[in-house]
Amino acid sequence: MRALFLAMLIAYSLGALAALAGGRSALGRRLVALGAVAGSGAGLALGAAVIATGVPFALSFPWLLPLGGGLALRLDSLGAFFLVVVGVGAIPAAVYGAGYSAAYEDGRASLPLLGVMFNLFLLTMSLVTLADNVLTFLLMWEGMSLTSYFLVITESEDEEVRDAGLWYLAMTHMGLVLLLGAFMLLTGGAVSGHFEDLRGRAVSLTPGTRDLVYLLALLGFGSKAGIVPLHVWLPRAHPAAPSHVSALLSGVMIKMGVYGLLRVVLDLLGGGPAWWGGLVLGVGVVSALLGVLYALMEHDLKRLLAFHSVENIGIILIGIGAGLMFHRYGLMSLAALGFIGGLYHVINHAAFKSLLFLGAGSVLYATGTRNMEEMGGLIKRMPWTAIFFLIGAVAISALPPLNGFVSEWLIFQSLLGGVQIPVPEVAAVMPVAVGLLALTSGLTAACFVKAFGITFLALPRSLKAAEAHESPWSMRLGMAGLGLGCIGLGVAAFAVVPVLGRVLAGLGGLPDTRAEFTLNVFLHTPSGLGQMSPTLMALGLVLLLGLLPSVLWLFRLQRRRRLSDPWGCGRVGQTARMEYTATAFAEPLKRVFADIYRPMKKLTVDFHPRSKYFVQSIEYRSEITPWFDQALYRPFLESATFVAKQMRRLQAGSLHLYLLYIAVVLIVLLVFARWF
Amino acid sequence: MVLTVEYALEVSQAVFGLALAPFLVGFVRWVKARLQNRRGAPPWQLYYELAKLFGKEVVVSREASWLFYFAPYVVFASTLAAAFLVPLLFAPLPFDGLGDLLAVVYLLMLGTFFLALAGLDPGTAFGGMGSSREMTVAAIAEPTIAVAIFSLAIGTGSTNLGRMVTLTLDNPATAISPGHLLAFAALFIVALAETGRLPVDNPATHLELTMIHEAMILEYSGRYLALIEWAAALKFMIFLSLLANLFLPWGVATDFSPVTISAAVVAFLLKVGCLGLLIAFTETHVAKLRLFRVPELLGVSFVLALLAVTSSLLLK
Amino acid sequence: MVDTLFSQLTTLGSSIALLFGIVLLCRYSFHAYVEAFRWQSLVLAVLLVVVGYFGAASELYLVAAVFFALKVVFIPHYLERLAKRVGAPREIQPYVNVTTSLVVAAVLVLLAYGIMRPVVQAGQLPTRGGLPLAAGLIFVGLFVIISRKKALTQIVGFLVLENGIALLAALGAFGIPLIVELGVFLDVLMGFLVMQVFVYQIHGTFESIDVEQLNQLRH
Repeated sequence: MRALFLAMLIAYSLGALAALAGGRSALGRRLVALGAVAGSGAGLALGAAVIATGVPFALSFPWLLPLGGGLALRLDSLGAFFLVVVGVGAIPAAVYGAGYSAAYEDGRASLPLLGVMFNLFLLTMSLVTLADNVLTFLLMWEGMSLTSYFLVITESEDEEVRDAGLWYLAMTHMGLVLLLGAFMLLTGGAVSGHFEDLRGRAVSLTPGTRDLVYLLALLGFGSKAGIVPLHVWLPRAHPAAPSHVSALLSGVMIKMGVYGLLRVVLDLLGGGPAWWGGLVLGVGVVSALLGVLYALMEHDLKRLLAFHSVENIGIILIGIGAGLMFHRYGLMSLAALGFIGGLYHVINHAAFKSLLFLGAGSVLYATGTRNMEEMGGLIKRMPWTAIFFLIGAVAISALPPLNGFVSEWLIFQSLLGGVQIPVPEVAAVMPVAVGLLALTSGLTAACFVKAFGITFLALPRSLKAAEAHESPWSMRLGMAGLGLGCIGLGVAAFAVVPVLGRVLAGLGGLPDTRAEFTLNVFLHTPSGLGQMSPTLMALGLVLLLGLLPSVLWLFRLQRRRRLSDPWGCGRVGQTARMEYTATAFAEPLKRVFADIYRPMKKLTVDFHPRSKYFVQSIEYRSEITPWFDQALYRPFLESATFVAKQMRRLQAGSLHLYLLYIAVVLIVLLVFARWF
Repeated sequence: MVLTVEYALEVSQAVFGLALAPFLVGFVRWVKARLQNRRGAPPWQLYYELAKLFGKEVVVSREASWLFYFAPYVVFASTLAAAFLVPLLFAPLPFDGLGDLLAVVYLLMLGTFFLALAGLDPGTAFGGMGSSREMTVAAIAEPTIAVAIFSLAIGTGSTNLGRMVTLTLDNPATAISPGHLLAFAALFIVALAETGRLPVDNPATHLELTMIHEAMILEYSGRYLALIEWAAALKFMIFLSLLANLFLPWGVATDFSPVTISAAVVAFLLKVGCLGLLIAFTETHVAKLRLFRVPELLGVSFVLALLAVTSSLLLK
Repeated sequence: MVDTLFSQLTTLGSSIALLFGIVLLCRYSFHAYVEAFRWQSLVLAVLLVVVGYFGAASELYLVAAVFFALKVVFIPHYLERLAKRVGAPREIQPYVNVTTSLVVAAVLVLLAYGIMRPVVQAGQLPTRGGLPLAAGLIFVGLFVIISRKKALTQIVGFLVLENGIALLAALGAFGIPLIVELGVFLDVLMGFLVMQVFVYQIHGTFESIDVEQLNQLRH
């Protein structure tokens, strides 16, 4: 295992060096990708080895940093699982990036910087899962945030990109401050921040302190994960980054927030009162619902996917919240089921969201635009991208037999088990959560019909779309890998669930459930509540799909087709202007949920000067701004600007004055410390 | 030996459902016609229609892609797969563990997904409109279904359909519990929405602007249209049999003797027939709702389902 | 015997360093500033070797070598080059004239002694005698920064400040952990390079490196 760890370190470093040495050439880009693939592959192998053998991998360098216990690394099953998730997301993204970064060869972005930061980002993210004391964790967390910031602002010539980077930087550091608070409370002034010691100390903390730690951890890790209302950086930063980086940000990095939450709340604190789980559940439901609602209204393909990431984090938190609630009431099997559902969705989302972002990146690469209203007809011009995007769309809409369905089924089943909670008021929360979860999955399906349909189907709505071409083989390879992953994770669910059970064993007192939820190829829940087999369903569907054309052929019913114009009520000729647009597709839902959206509508009609029965022009404008920006962030930013303006009075503009300020304060402090 | 008999019975049950579905749709149409003082086409009219469609030439829009040709097969396959999981005549059966009620709902959603995509494919405005409306209705109907499943699961203790039926047969009192009755009402409204019946969608309309389901499949012809129509009929059959057998499970055969099987067939025909009559009455009685009133109707059904769950929880 | 030799050597070395720092206040030409800094750094490098030898802290040899390379060779060289580029200034009118500067410096050194008294009394290290001198050097460096008008001389003041801190660390703790020491060197280097750039920019914008002109940038 040590060899794998060293291989991971070396591969990433070599990748970064290759970027510095010759990042601009095609060979350089391939070497960067190779370094990243090798590194994340080694990480994946390391994680898999730890999970398979059950033996944690530990390594520490206390002399490297003399305070806080130095650099301490330990990979237990939970961290190993997230390391595997990093690998699953990073390998296809890196392969894809080898081809995609060719778009930056014209110099509008620095390829060496991209390559270096890419490898360092993956390295620091992997080390977050390995961290075993507070110092290492926070150091690697900050490293992950900084490297991802540089990746986000790759195309820094664009004003929007720089703005997105600023939001991202501000919010990730706000999260860091909250995490610092949480960890400071946990260590309570002791020098060693070793997780082992923290675990021991946590039992003796007062309930008030534990609650405060929990809240700080939820907000801090939640802002990284993208819960509502701390998600505002996500729809800005993820579209601004290059597509393979967006795939990593959405598919892997926000899961580190989930990892941190599990680590602190379940592992270090060992679970808590029911309202902890209830709060996570509530936050999850709200994030899921609002995420999908805002996604529906987007016509920027990548922003749509970014909002869906918010939604899926909400779903993951629903599973985890349910698990925490059951944990409190001692219903350990159900708790494990909830956590397994959440963790399964973590890896599923990594697979299908990365796939979708890579697909969106291909579309962007081919057409030069992210706006869905300018696309169309790409299924004929980019057939492979279309198929892979379709697989991703079917997976995210939780349709059987792909992976999204399996994890949502598990989460549903754990919520259904809520009937066993002894307190009826608490148990009554579960049906509401079930209903809202079902609503989000229905809305997701609607949103992806729109996303896939408007982007790929029918006629091209602009010249750019008409001239689109298929992506290079490296990009297709990355997408294909993830597509196979989505199918595999769904069909082989009976193999994944025991692994997840093993990952959770022992965490916070959970039993080893590796054999509890599966039976050959079936998945079943405790007390026989539900049983299902995605494997057999997939088999059945494939069988039926093959059977039907054969039966039709047998009866000689396969006639030749005649191509003709589509039905237009007698109108001849079909142009792209007659197709449905993305905005039109989502309009019924906009009306249904108008109370949440509060769309701004403006209608101006220009009448003919001579008669008001003739109209010269009509302008209709409808805009939806997420109300968090209005209600929450704008007042906050305005008050901060106001305070800053007042403070400006101290600035006289003279450098010497400032230096004098510094010196005077220093001397005053020293005098104070010495004589008072 | 017993196992192969069970598998054979399972397959024959699905084939039975498949064969009966067009008759059911035709029956409802015929009752509606009679209620409207018309003679109406005979209930087996749909069989003739399907036979005719299978023999006809297929005309496809020039702009359509492979998805257009692929979608009808997906719709039919997924609906048929769902039909395999629903206990029409027997319970429980070997495929029962393959998927539970959630799986059935999502399999039907798979069909809707591909049909909606196929509506967008030819690039017509009607298709887009139909897809958009269909996905809206489907999305808003989802929470009701999920919460109704929850309430049924509380009452019976399982989400697998065969087991639900047998568990209800073992405890007849659950069938008249307020939870079950409210859930029945909620699922009835959802069934109307999902299968495209009045007051949500008029299956007999010829005005494109009033269509939901029909607008999506406007471009289909020949064998594709036949597959889609048959799948729609099968979906109707699935919903009615769920309503019949989950809430009034008496008559479902639990062993495989010829007597129980024939009794099961008769009971099934009776229950589904009565439900069909109920639907025909409802359709004749109400007018089609504006599209933006449909969410209100589905909201009512959601509230009913929520009440069902809370009463089940509190009266457990 | 070795101990007292050690403490004598360190006190001597610190005094010489502080002296060079005060000498800085009396000079007018930039070249003289740089020379004083260079000699001061040399004395400090030797002092580091002494502390490393007597205090048995072998990493201080490496630190001394880097210190020598950076502050005796590299930085003064670049300072001279920078001065040639922007025109070597003569600090003709500092904010405070020479006499007042010397008086203030004396007061600061006394203040340093006063502040460091409890540390010296309670300390166990043989080098504790030099601690107040190191603190005095820090204050003097700070004062140089405040009272000079030209950007270049301010830079030298900053470097003297850094020297004072390094001296304090060496005397007070026999050096600080290697990684922190290297970090500080990197810091100084970076700071110096950044200040270089700033001086170019200021010169380019105002055609002079009188820092007072920066007032015009005020919004």
